[in-house]
Amino acid sequence: MNRVPFRALLAAAALGLVALLVAACGSSDKAPAGSKELTFKLTDAGCEPVKATAPAGPINFKVENGGTTKYSELEILDGETILGERENITEGLSGSFSLTLEEGEYAVRCKEEGGEGEGTLVVTGKLETKKSPEIEKAIADYRSYLEENTDELTAKTKPFVAAVVAGNIAKAKQLYPEARIPYERIEPVAESFGDLDPRIDARENDVKPSEFGGFHRIEKALWEEESLQGMKPVAEELTANVEELEEKVKGVKLQAVQIANGANELLTEVSTSKITGEEERYSHIDLVDFKANVEGSQVAFEAVAPLIAKQDPKLAKEIEADLEAVYAALEPYETSKWPGFVLYEELSKADTRKLAQSIDTLAEKLALVPAQIAKGEQA
Amino acid sequence: MALTRRRLLASAGIGAAGVGLGAGGYLVGHDAAEADAAEAGGAVPFYGEHQAGIATPVQDRLHFAAFDLETESKAELRELMREWTTAAAEMTAGRMVGTAAGNREQLAPPDDTGEAFGLPPSNLTITFGFGPGLFDRPGLGLADRRPAELQPLPTLPGDQLNGLESDGDICVQACADDPQVVFHAVRNLARIGRGTVTMRWSQLGFGRTSSTIRSQETPRNLFGMKDGTANIKAEDGEAMDEFVWVDSGPAWMRGGSYLVSRRIRMNLEVWDRSPLQDQEETIGRSKYSGAPLGSEDEFDPLPLEETGMDGKPVIPADAHARLASPQENGGVQILRRGYSFTDGVDESLGELEAGLFFIAFQRDPGKQFVALQRRLGVHDALNEYIKHVGSALFAVPGGVKPGGYAGEALLG
Repeated sequence: MNRVPFRALLAAAALGLVALLVAACGSSDKAPAGSKELTFKLTDAGCEPVKATAPAGPINFKVENGGTTKYSELEILDGETILGERENITEGLSGSFSLTLEEGEYAVRCKEEGGEGEGTLVVTGKLETKKSPEIEKAIADYRSYLEENTDELTAKTKPFVAAVVAGNIAKAKQLYPEARIPYERIEPVAESFGDLDPRIDARENDVKPSEFGGFHRIEKALWEEESLQGMKPVAEELTANVEELEEKVKGVKLQAVQIANGANELLTEVSTSKITGEEERYSHIDLVDFKANVEGSQVAFEAVAPLIAKQDPKLAKEIEADLEAVYAALEPYETSKWPGFVLYEELSKADTRKLAQSIDTLAEKLALVPAQIAKGEQA
Repeated sequence: MALTRRRLLASAGIGAAGVGLGAGGYLVGHDAAEADAAEAGGAVPFYGEHQAGIATPVQDRLHFAAFDLETESKAELRELMREWTTAAAEMTAGRMVGTAAGNREQLAPPDDTGEAFGLPPSNLTITFGFGPGLFDRPGLGLADRRPAELQPLPTLPGDQLNGLESDGDICVQACADDPQVVFHAVRNLARIGRGTVTMRWSQLGFGRTSSTIRSQETPRNLFGMKDGTANIKAEDGEAMDEFVWVDSGPAWMRGGSYLVSRRIRMNLEVWDRSPLQDQEETIGRSKYSGAPLGSEDEFDPLPLEETGMDGKPVIPADAHARLASPQENGGVQILRRGYSFTDGVDESLGELEAGLFFIAFQRDPGKQFVALQRRLGVHDALNEYIKHVGSALFAVPGGVKPGGYAGEALLG
């Protein structure tokens, strides 16, 4: 489970938004050159105009408050995904933001729940995109990794689920870590598909008790309850969900910047839930996930690395060295027996501190990559 | 481009009124920005003969951090000190760390963490020091530059030190009149240093417990006693030269000083239930006026020779003020610059985890702090109420020249 921003970015990618450019502070001269300008007025009736059209490409949305106290924000949505928004436009104020949109129909909302006062924006025509061969390659490389792992996820989840359905606790425990690895490598992409991630990977308290299912529900049954009673439907649903993920990934549109963001997101996962022992709180196999997150992050970085090697060769080198340092920090905890690492409970504070520091060091550098890639794309 | 934190805020404010959005104003470079920092008041010059934060009038807040060096490369250490110096000069002038572009790039984390945005310089000083351990690292090749004075502090009477709250290879002392400004300083330096150093321990101080210039009122420590009445005052150039500034040994330490820090846990609950008379006799001063017992005024000399009607000394033999006084220590003095701290609740006791983060500057820690503490640790009546749980020693090099970096004479 994850925080919102990168998920929104990835969701945007999945839904066909080509580049998410959030223009700062209402200055129209910051909108991309050649932007189409659309003005929306907030009134008591909602957003005006109710129907707007624009050619595919960069659009600068100007939002003015036409004297209403009823509405003070404007959102552009694709389905239920907010692509861009401006808030706090109260009486007398105005503001703007920019988006680059592909052909399609979008909702224009001035109220979070939608419905009342909602408008539509129809974008027509083909978006001119020119991607360099390096970018194409980066995306293709990452896509094959993604598909490899969702395939593997299905392949490893099936025997695990079979063991759960058969009520074989020992076998299910044995197989659990293997199924976790491919998921943890690509989790940020899974998170882009609405509630699919919580259905597969929610931890207790992340969701309503009645909705708690997926890997961690079964983990709890195996290690805490030590009973698989009632787990058959949960397990079968897990299979359906990982298969759905495998299908959905095939249609996902990827951007180089978002792949780089995904690399960071995986490290955030390590910092917030693996190094704290929260992810696998019953089985304590957190270091298995830790390594899978780092591997996924490494592959994402390596996919885009050629794009920054030109922009900032020093940065690329430093990240490579920091990645090696992370693996070196993990190495002493690897074991030859199940699950391949010592359990989280066996780590001392000094151990987790060392591991956390190695991630922080890597992540600080890796966070600089997306902007470098964006610069490269514009160049 | 130089932008003060305040100017940034002002431009954001204009943006909110004029354009209609408070998302932050653009960074606009103006020559006036430098002047603005001075206007905002409280910018202490970073560059000078000595590092700031020693003779500087004590500010109200402290964030102190000790770092472990994670590299054996002198070049990397040098690069760190260069980057830290640049950032320190920016922050002490009230500017953001990094570049305007680096703080506005939408797809990257901003260079500066931002929490001091809009705050004036607040008399921020950032003082760097090097621990003894640095000179034992063969890779760094600093052994021949080690000053004789820079030896790990010996175990002192009453020490109950926790290793994780002690020592360190490099220290950063950030002092200012605003807690957010000192926190921002340490946080940003830690971030810049990631990969080269890791933070070993850090300490926030919420109130000064000494004065270093005559015009400053003597503050009270958490025992409710005036502390630092007899401290060296910066105006006393002779005392500063005699006791604080280094003028011998390796060239890189000239104009520098040695910093001793001690995390002193105070048993406040026990102190608070002690009779007033015990409290005053423990210190040797009157609680409210701060005057020596048997005297009227805070700054009266300690009547160390006087005895009362009962034939006992007016200032008891084990009183803290007596044992710490120059008269009883062969004239030795130190410059104290400590802060009160509290870090929540002592888990094992359910009592306030609070005390004094003692900082002292001196030219020779062995002859000054160590000599003083050897006596105090054994005889001081105050020992019943305190324990020393953290300890560190750092060599604080002389001042930084514009264009140079802290520690350049050592690492260059």
